[in-house]
Amino acid sequence: MNSFELVVPETAEEAVAALQALAPGEAAPIAGGTDLLIDVDEGRVAPRRVISLRRLPWKTLDWNAGALTVGSTLPLRSLEEDPQVRVSYPGLYQAVRAVGSVALRHRATLGGNLVRSAPASDLVPVLLSLDAEVDLVGPSGDRRVPVDRFVQASRRTDLRPGELVRSVYLPEARPSAFLWQRVRPSNDISQVAVAVAFSPAQRRWKVAVGGVTPRPTLLPEASDVLGSGRPTSSEVRRASEIAASRAAFVTDRRASEEYRRHLVATLLERAVGSAVNGGRFPA
Amino acid sequence: MTSPPLRFQVNGHPQHLANVPDSERLLDTLRWRLGLKGTKEGCRTGDCGACTVLVDDRTTLSCLTLTHEVDGAKLTTIETGPEDLVVTRVRAAFDRAGALQCGYCTPGFVMALAGLLKERGTAAAREELLDGLGGNLCRCTGYAAIVRAVDELRTEGP
Ligand SMILES: Cc1cc2nc3c(=O)[nH]c(=O)nc-3n(C[C@@H](O)[C@@H](O)[C@H](O)COP(=O)(O)OP(=O)(O)OC[C@H]3O[C@@H](n4cnc5c(N)ncnc54)[C@H](O)[C@@H]3O)c2cc1C
Ligand code: FES
Ligand code: FES
Repeated sequence: MNSFELVVPETAEEAVAALQALAPGEAAPIAGGTDLLIDVDEGRVAPRRVISLRRLPWKTLDWNAGALTVGSTLPLRSLEEDPQVRVSYPGLYQAVRAVGSVALRHRATLGGNLVRSAPASDLVPVLLSLDAEVDLVGPSGDRRVPVDRFVQASRRTDLRPGELVRSVYLPEARPSAFLWQRVRPSNDISQVAVAVAFSPAQRRWKVAVGGVTPRPTLLPEASDVLGSGRPTSSEVRRASEIAASRAAFVTDRRASEEYRRHLVATLLERAVGSAVNGGRFPA
Repeated sequence: MTSPPLRFQVNGHPQHLANVPDSERLLDTLRWRLGLKGTKEGCRTGDCGACTVLVDDRTTLSCLTLTHEVDGAKLTTIETGPEDLVVTRVRAAFDRAGALQCGYCTPGFVMALAGLLKERGTAAAREELLDGLGGNLCRCTGYAAIVRAVDELRTEGP
């Protein structure tokens, strides 16, 4: 088994410096470790130095008039336990609850999920539907990147050498929902996942799907036909048809392409219903 | 590579550990350094829950946790004595419900359920408790007796 040195910086500057001191691939940050340690065991990565993020002041949840900043190293379980998250961002709450098991969520984080950028991530679709942005710290300063640009493909993101995810910014509380289909409810990977959210400020829907390749995506055409408020049942049906025909589904060992197209239509209809009826839908 | 000595409270007793490699998993520290072999290794990939322990009273998969990352924590394993009332009650409920056959998964189930009860209290909804055990696999019981143990704990009250 790969053995490495663990360093535990106290500040973001120290963490960035520790990361930069070695060539990319030789150093890796660790948050919850639920992806990283499996990658180490399976030989996909072999860092000489692992940089613990546990002492950085990033296990935070900050509200500012409806906008929410989630610290990158906050355990997912703490996010789901916050009563206000459940009310203001129901889709996010539902997606977090879908990740692994309770014990996994006591360690797994949002920052780690984004950087792993798994095609089957349950969190990326929801973040897309909420227009989330990623706040990065790095050797040449801070920058903010929309999730839609940050996440590129499996294990590929816009993260530059020496950079760390500090937090994820959610600009606006939105009526929202996240639904998935799996073989087993816990500790399994979603065959299809659907996230929908309605932006009260823009009066627009955002629809995103997971279970597609190469990574979860927004479906602007499906979003647009949902209109600027409560959609009619024929608008919802139309959005479902668009999602079923346009999403980049493929057949793999989890599900056939055909089954995924069938699933996405059903899940989308239900998700819109849940977002509209979940309370707080603007008049 | 090894960092400075670690300090834990393990099942109520202070423990100092020197020379623990930085890359060692909590599961291996518990089993091989501390001889606490009640905690089981099933998959080592986070899928089975057999390695579940409590870190500061929160359920944690010890196979996916670096020992050094939880330095200073209060660790609770299936070996804990009656000083942990919740684990003691859950163990007794498993016993009464006959919720085990080979027993390999049992420490993980007991710790997972004890952790949920500590987080949520005994008033926790049945669905919440059953859902919270979704990360634990059992190959023998068919789960019915485990569900009975959950129900026993709920009717027993605080
Ligand atoms: C059994 C099991 C079931 C799972 N089920 C699901 C599921 O249902 N849905 C789902 O979406 N995911 C699932 N996952 C994956 C999920 O646990 C991870 O994606 C998790 O969210 C990653 O967070 P972490 O803190 O553990 O990341 P880590 O493993 O610590 O890190 C992951 C990667 O990100 C890097 N990194 C971590 N934090 C930062 C940071 N702040 N800045 C820069 N780089 C960073 C690390 O170097 C590493 O490359 C599952 C995993 C397991 C083992
Ligand atoms: S051994 Fe840790 S989850 Fe299976
Ligand atoms: S009792 Fe044998 S695995 Fe559960």
